[in-house]
Amino acid sequence: MSGIWERARASRTLRGRDSFGSRDITSNGDRSSRTVRLGRVQPQAPSNRTIYCNDREANLPVRYKGNSISTTKYNVLTFLPKGLFEQFRRVANLYFLMISILSTTPISPVHPITNVVPLSLVLLVSLIKEAFEDWKRFQNDKSINNAPVDVLQDQKWETIPWKKLQVGDLVRVKQDGFFPADLLFLASSNPDGVCYIETANLDGETNLKIRKALERTWDYFLPEKAAEFKGEIQCEQPNNSLYTFTGNLIIENQTLPLSPNQILLRGCSLRNTEYIVGTVLFTGHETKVMMNSMNVPSKRSTLERKLDKLILALFGCLFFMCLIGAIGSGVFINRKYYYLGLSGDVEDQFNPNNRFVVTILTMFTLITLYSTIIPISLYVSIEMIKFIQCTQFINKDLNMYHIESGTPALARTSNLNEELGQVEYIFSDKTGTLTRNMMEFFKCSIGGEIYGNGVTEIERGNLERKGLKLDGANGSATAIREKGFNFDDARLMRGAWRNETNPEFCKEFFRCLAICHTVLPEGEESLEKIVYQAASPDEAALVTAAKNFGFFFYRRTPTTVIVRESHVDKMGKIQDVAYEILNVLEFNSTRKRQSVVCRYPNGRLVLYCKGADTVIYERLAYGNEDIKRITREHLEQFGSAGLRTLCLAYRELSSELYEKWNEKFILAKSSLREREKKLDEVAELIEKELVLIGCTAIEDKLQEGVPSCIETLSRAGIKIWVLTGDKMETAINIAYACNLINNDMKQFFISSDTDAVREVEDKGDPVEISRFMRDLVKKDLERCLEEAQHFFHTVTGPKLALVIDGKCLMYALDPNLRVNLLKLSLNCASVVCCRVSPLQKAQVTSLVKKGARKITLSIGDGANDVSMIQAAHVGVGISGLEGMQAVMASDFAIAQFRFLTDLLLVHGRWSYLRLCKVITYFFYKNLTFTLTQFWFTFQTGFSGQRFYDDWFQSLYNVIFTALPVIIVGLFDKDVSASLSKQNPELYKEGIRNMFFKWRVVAVWAFFSFYQSLVFYYFTAAASHNGQNSSGKTFGLWDVSTMAFTCVVVTVNLRLLMACNSITKWHSLSISGSILAWFLFIFIYSAVMTPYDRQENVYFVIYVLMSTFYFYLTLLHIPVVALLGDFIYLGLQRWFAPYDYQIIQEIHRNDLEDNRSSALLEIGNHLTQNEARSYAIAQLPRETSKHTGFAFDSPGYESFFASQQGVFVPQKPWDVARRASMRQQPRTHRS
Amino acid sequence: MNSNGASSSATDGVRDSNPPKRNSKRPKYSKFTQQELPACKPILTPAIVITTFALIGIIFIPIGLASLSASERVVEIVDRYDLDCIPEQLRNDQLAFIQSSQTNKTCTRSVIVPRYMKSPVFIYYELDNFYQNHRRYVKSRSDKQLRSKASEQDTSTCAPESISSDGSPIVPCGLIAWSLFNDTYSFSFNNEVLMVNKKNIAWGSDKSHKFGRDVYPKNFQSGQLIGGATLNASIPLSEQEDLIVWMRTAALPTFRKLYGRIEEDLQPNQKITVVIENNYNTYSFGGKKKLVLSTTSWIGGKNDFLGVAYLTVGGLCLFLALVFILLYLFKPRTMGDPSYLSWNRNAAGYAD
Repeated sequence: MSGIWERARASRTLRGRDSFGSRDITSNGDRSSRTVRLGRVQPQAPSNRTIYCNDREANLPVRYKGNSISTTKYNVLTFLPKGLFEQFRRVANLYFLMISILSTTPISPVHPITNVVPLSLVLLVSLIKEAFEDWKRFQNDKSINNAPVDVLQDQKWETIPWKKLQVGDLVRVKQDGFFPADLLFLASSNPDGVCYIETANLDGETNLKIRKALERTWDYFLPEKAAEFKGEIQCEQPNNSLYTFTGNLIIENQTLPLSPNQILLRGCSLRNTEYIVGTVLFTGHETKVMMNSMNVPSKRSTLERKLDKLILALFGCLFFMCLIGAIGSGVFINRKYYYLGLSGDVEDQFNPNNRFVVTILTMFTLITLYSTIIPISLYVSIEMIKFIQCTQFINKDLNMYHIESGTPALARTSNLNEELGQVEYIFSDKTGTLTRNMMEFFKCSIGGEIYGNGVTEIERGNLERKGLKLDGANGSATAIREKGFNFDDARLMRGAWRNETNPEFCKEFFRCLAICHTVLPEGEESLEKIVYQAASPDEAALVTAAKNFGFFFYRRTPTTVIVRESHVDKMGKIQDVAYEILNVLEFNSTRKRQSVVCRYPNGRLVLYCKGADTVIYERLAYGNEDIKRITREHLEQFGSAGLRTLCLAYRELSSELYEKWNEKFILAKSSLREREKKLDEVAELIEKELVLIGCTAIEDKLQEGVPSCIETLSRAGIKIWVLTGDKMETAINIAYACNLINNDMKQFFISSDTDAVREVEDKGDPVEISRFMRDLVKKDLERCLEEAQHFFHTVTGPKLALVIDGKCLMYALDPNLRVNLLKLSLNCASVVCCRVSPLQKAQVTSLVKKGARKITLSIGDGANDVSMIQAAHVGVGISGLEGMQAVMASDFAIAQFRFLTDLLLVHGRWSYLRLCKVITYFFYKNLTFTLTQFWFTFQTGFSGQRFYDDWFQSLYNVIFTALPVIIVGLFDKDVSASLSKQNPELYKEGIRNMFFKWRVVAVWAFFSFYQSLVFYYFTAAASHNGQNSSGKTFGLWDVSTMAFTCVVVTVNLRLLMACNSITKWHSLSISGSILAWFLFIFIYSAVMTPYDRQENVYFVIYVLMSTFYFYLTLLHIPVVALLGDFIYLGLQRWFAPYDYQIIQEIHRNDLEDNRSSALLEIGNHLTQNEARSYAIAQLPRETSKHTGFAFDSPGYESFFASQQGVFVPQKPWDVARRASMRQQPRTHRS
Repeated sequence: MNSNGASSSATDGVRDSNPPKRNSKRPKYSKFTQQELPACKPILTPAIVITTFALIGIIFIPIGLASLSASERVVEIVDRYDLDCIPEQLRNDQLAFIQSSQTNKTCTRSVIVPRYMKSPVFIYYELDNFYQNHRRYVKSRSDKQLRSKASEQDTSTCAPESISSDGSPIVPCGLIAWSLFNDTYSFSFNNEVLMVNKKNIAWGSDKSHKFGRDVYPKNFQSGQLIGGATLNASIPLSEQEDLIVWMRTAALPTFRKLYGRIEEDLQPNQKITVVIENNYNTYSFGGKKKLVLSTTSWIGGKNDFLGVAYLTVGGLCLFLALVFILLYLFKPRTMGDPSYLSWNRNAAGYAD
């Protein structure tokens, strides 16, 4: 079942622009039709949907959609017309269609088959591919639609297929089953009416989520009882917002508010619950998951766009050739050639009385004759090559397979492979991409005292840069290390905190960690085996830390949190304490904090709060200024070490105060409109007068192999920009740790974090602020640019680095300043943009893409990177850890940042080389072939007589020269994968586009010109007189067959000359193609068919082969034709060798060039200690999302993005996005 | 890649001992998907370039010499007669001469045999500026009609010479047949007639398959305009070898076609008298007519082109081999010298 879903998702993503999300979806409640716009959360429909539960007749009048889904593009009837229509949207196909039509007229010198055969073969291949893909989708749909589900009918559970399900039905879903539609959760086999669901198919998160049914419905569980359930549900219209739901359930005149908590979405699966009962709300295409399927904007590679220009040039060439021929025909035609029978009534094309008409008609004649100059099979060949490159090479590359998460690379679009070989700028997200998003509790500050002796990798890197060397052995014997906890300080462990100066603070600190969270414990309730499911890895790390400090949170009920506390009252004592959780004020990006109101067993009421320093400090009670000051210092210290900080605070509550507040809270909670906003406002009332306990510091670990990968990429001439929502210090530190910036670089900072800015900001006049900022940014830019000018033209000088923050960037992206920004940043080796919103990420990307016309790649893992990924030429998503949004928007998905080396330097480079070779070769072979025809035209009185037999011409492209070029496109390899990575500089050839310049094309054109002359004139010149000892002479078809044989042989051999590596497939396909020609001509000229054929070539090949002329010419012409290329290649290699050729030469004596590659692997996981990898793989999977609990929260950016129409999915904790930017956090003040 | 292969097998080992479910997405190793197919990697080193050139030279020059000598052995006599066969007084109006049925078109010429010509001596006529490959001309025939009597009516492709004035089909129809060459030659030496054998001058496949045994000429040249030769209506087309030769249309506007054979050796300095019936009209389009007498060798008729081409290319290749050797000596480039790498080159350049 899960496999089916995987495929469902895959097929949706494969379909790209035709995703059904773009269809009109009729909403049924009001029967009006509206279009679901993609990439946006839909506006709520004004009207409601009313569902009568368990009553099919009552629902009948509304005609809800059925539950069957169809993701296919075609059906049996529409396949041919629609499929053909799609095909003829390609210019080349349309052109050939027109040529084919033209060739049915008498104007044409060629039989229609000449053009119809290749066209129909090309169409056939494309249509078969389409049909195959659609068939897979159909099968997929079918298996989903026919999946069984239990439905209540006549007080019994009846098993019916999913597609028969209707709105209002009561269904039963068993453990590990998928929900067949969007359900309202009524009852569960669990006693407290909860169930656990996995939403991996929706957002990729594998942590379990709790859903809780309304207490009123818990009883409708057994079929007899459930049959009595008659409720009416009023809810919103179907929409694509996964995390919101508003509605009411009306039972027996009682109105109960519904929340997302009672909704089970299609695509999720039931876990840890025997079974649940629910009623169907939305079905089929109206389910949220189906309405959410995303659209990837289709991208075309730069190379293909350049190819279009080449095709245009060919069209120009074609026109020119036709023009010459046509004028020639007008001049030539004359009654004096009486044997042409021109004296009587002559058709227009040959009528000497009207030479103009002759010219025009001959023009058309020649267009059909020379149509082979446009390589019709080029596009389909390229498509096949790219498709195989994607599915077989990229997706199956073991070097890009991540063992720990079991994720192979995934090419989601197959038309950008070669773009990977030309990337010059990489825009990278930080969190989750460069860093691991694996949070480890590392240090803390409690009551003004720092605990934790660890040294972060960043600090270590800093020290090493300063020349200090740290011992590898990290940590003392007391250090405890587990997932999420990497803390080393004996002062806090095993109850030792009781002896510290402020044990009360410590106690509150630990309790806050153990109580204030939304973590779910899973598995056995023991210290070792418990597994925490958390919405963010930070939370899990914090709860794990509490566990290690002796406050073991092990069970959560809907109302309580149970903590096993050690050493609290006295050393060694262990007791289970149940804290009653009264309210949870959840985290969201505007609040930047999370609070829990809990009641101790002794009745003490406490609010625990944790959150960003900025929001906590604003809400602190007066007093304890020392601790506040010291803690702030500690915060800065942690921040600059690259750690993520979080402030903890608490507040004692009196019961009167709480009761009063709670009434408001309940009111807000049951409101139907703007519930979240009201909840926030209520929370504001109680989260004040807090007492600061301290702060935590969590290490965000770098991804494996990131620094070496970045170094390799920069050697390859790729510039890496980090675009992050983090604050400047963190971003710079990460940049240091990643080798992006070092102290040898000339660094430029453009920051809004200055006193002057703050001063202006405090005045609060937006006009003044923007004016001031603009001036500041302008001045800064000019200053930097002036300084940088010195270094622009020296190579030995220091490299440049630019750090700019989001606020400044906003002004720097202004059209007036953009030029300076671009000038400066393009000359920098690395650029770090911090505090940027998703929209700015996209803007920076397009600035380079459009402004500098460089090829860009964006890589990111989160929803906030979606816009950037879509804006770049190539979007890469990090798969395996985070949610699916980035992957769904990306063109390629890899599990680790370091796999970029393989993706770019190996696959990208090869794809580029191969595609260039394929395109130029196609160009060459068609031009050569057509030119021979062109030369012949001159000697036929410009009549447009074809030189070749119809079938020769039609099969030339599709049989005799088709396969080898595809083989080359797949297998050609200049240097091995390991050498490509060892010599990243080779990649620069792609950036400079060395292999598809006009110069390269011109060289090919020159040689095809030369070769065509050789083919035509040599065969013709030698065929003048008697050809064997019987003195018989040749006719036209003998000569043309001879010439064609030479063309086929030479063109295939030329490909062999272009190969860098020759596998058996090369030899097989090339010799096969030549043999295919001979086989064809042997058969073709031996048979006589009564249909449609002048016996032109009857027996021609046998006649030819009875002469020495044939053998002498066949040996001679290919050698002469290829001599030019051979000299060129020899000289080129001698005097102007490409870099890859030198590398080839260096390693030419390597027996198997892979032998030596062990030491060349760059950050390759396969060379790692396998046992360790496996051990890590056995660890609970890193599943949760980066939320940025600290000030790094990128959440606020989603506001900008959605304002700009950039899709940012809602997170569960992000449902209440404010309508204003009032709460926009300030940058961290140091 | 070897290292990968080794390490992937290591992971396989782990998998086997305790297969974790998570690794199910692991791509299977194959040489194809990992792009590690064994391949030979030819590098165009100077040695290979020089060897190739030398090899081509060594192979081509003997072939060239052989074919040139074969071509040299062929004795060929070419006699252009189109102008000379018009009486002096009519030279100003050649067209009138050739189109008139009154004029005497017989013309006597003599050629001298330069060298011993071993029989058979092939007689060709050569036409110039005659576009047998013109589109209108090439397609004006009906292969079906030529092949079988049943398809007699099948003249749709033969325009404008498809039907006679009374509407019955012309056999053979079409422009090609209509414009059949109709000059005739007869040879004598010392008043002794040299027999011309006109059998077996067409390719066997044409005779046996393309022209029917039961197809007899009908309505041929019956129109107002006579394009060329007439055919004996009592001889089936498969025996009309002149027509068969003519209908194998030539590739170029200058072409030779076989007329017949003299099956007697001709001695040097023999003066052969040729009586030409100069009927065929090449005057209207300014074409030349030539009579060619030629022996053959294994290479066919006299054909210096192939031999010269082979010799030229062979010589050129030897020369190139020499040039490359000199290049190699005077401007050597060490194979695989890292300093030629562009990034090293640039750095060096700036260091200078």
